[in-house]
Amino acid sequence: MAHPSQLGFQDAASPVMEELLHFHDHALMIVFLISTLVLYIIVAMVTAKVTNKYIIDSQEIEIVWTVLPAVILTLIALPSLRILYLMDEINDPHLTVKAMGHQWYWSYEYTDYENLGFDSYMIPTQDLSPGQFRLLETDHRMVVPMESPIRVLVSAEDVLHSWAVPALGVKMDGVPGRLNQTAFIASRPGVFYGQCSEICGANHSFMPIVVEAVPLEHFENWSSLMLEDA
Amino acid sequence: MLATRALHLIGKRALSTSVCLRGGHGVAKVEDYTLPAYFDRRENPLPDIKYVQDLSAEQKSLKEKEKGSWAALSNEEKIALYRISFKESFAEMNQGTGEWKSVVAGMLFFIGFTGLVVAWQRKYVYGDVPHTFDPEYKQKELQRMLDMRINPIEGFTAKWDYENNTWKK
Repeated sequence: MAHPSQLGFQDAASPVMEELLHFHDHALMIVFLISTLVLYIIVAMVTAKVTNKYIIDSQEIEIVWTVLPAVILTLIALPSLRILYLMDEINDPHLTVKAMGHQWYWSYEYTDYENLGFDSYMIPTQDLSPGQFRLLETDHRMVVPMESPIRVLVSAEDVLHSWAVPALGVKMDGVPGRLNQTAFIASRPGVFYGQCSEICGANHSFMPIVVEAVPLEHFENWSSLMLEDA
Repeated sequence: MLATRALHLIGKRALSTSVCLRGGHGVAKVEDYTLPAYFDRRENPLPDIKYVQDLSAEQKSLKEKEKGSWAALSNEEKIALYRISFKESFAEMNQGTGEWKSVVAGMLFFIGFTGLVVAWQRKYVYGDVPHTFDPEYKQKELQRMLDMRINPIEGFTAKWDYENNTWKK
C-alpha cells in the first residue's frame, strides 16, 4: 500500500513492475530534460533585449528539430515495446484464479484442484480492528503462493469492473460475459492492496482487492482451511 | 496618385500616401492601404511620421536653426528637436510599467480569499473525519505497516531501523 502523502510508485512486488519502474524513470528523465530545455528557451526569449525581425528560414535547424525528436521518441518506444512483449511471454502458470467483479465486491475461484470459491467484501470503517487500513482491508484475501507464475482470469457478473494491484503491476478490466487473462509473479511475500479501477456504481470506491503472497506450504494450509469452512 | 485623382471628390486626406500631400519632411513611404502612423518601438526605431506635425512658431524657428551647424545648438535645443520628432526616448519606452505589482497583489488577494473560503467550509460544512485519523489509531496503523514490511525495498519500511526501533538516520 502507499504511505500517507506518497507521490511515487509503490515498491515492485513482481518482475514486470520492476521493469515498469525503470522505464518510468527513463521516460520521466527525458520529459524533465525536454521541459527544462523548453523553459530555458522561453525565459531566454522573453528576457532578451533585442529582436530579430529578419529571420526567414533555416534548413539546418529544421532538420535538427525534426530528427532529434524522432530519435528521442525511438529511445522511448524501444524500451516500452520491450516491456509490452515481455508481459505477453508464455509463462506456464502454476495456478489459475478467477476474479469476478460484482456490485460491490470481488469473488475469487480456485478451481484447478478443488472447487474453492469465496467472496471478498471491504471491511466497513466502523468494523475495523485497531491498525487496519481504512477502505483497503477485506474480510477474505486472495492468497497465492509466492515466486510462482499466477494466471488471473478477470470477469464481472453485472457491470464493468477492473482488477488492479499496483505493487504487482497488474490491472485488467472485468467485462461481463468476457474472460480477460493477466498474470503475475509475486517475487516477495507480503500483502498487496488494490482498488476497483472501473466505475461501477455507488460503492465503486469501496470494493478493494487484497493479494497475500505466502510460501507454498502456507498457501496449501490456507486453501485446505478455506475448503473446510466452505 | 491615380487613386487620389480618381476619388478627389471624397477628399485627398483620405488617401494620402505620398510626401507632398502631407507636407514637410518626415513622412516615410508606407505600404498600400495604410496611413502613416506614429509609434514608439524598440525594434523599429524610426516611425513613419514625426511626432509633432503642427509646429509652433518657436519650433519652426528651431527647425530653421537646425539647418545650420549643429555644433551651434545648445543641449536644450537638441532635446527640443528630438521631442519634435519623437514622443519617448528609448529609456522611457523601455521602462517597465510596474503592472506586475498589481498582478501579484490580485493573485495573493484571491489566494487569501480562497483560504478563507476553505477555512469556513471546514468549520461549517464538513463533518468529522473518520476515527482512523485519531493519533492512537495512526500509531497502530504505523506499527502494522512496519510489521507487514510495507514497501521494504526503497519505500516505507526501507527507512525504518528494525534493530534500534527507530527511523534510519
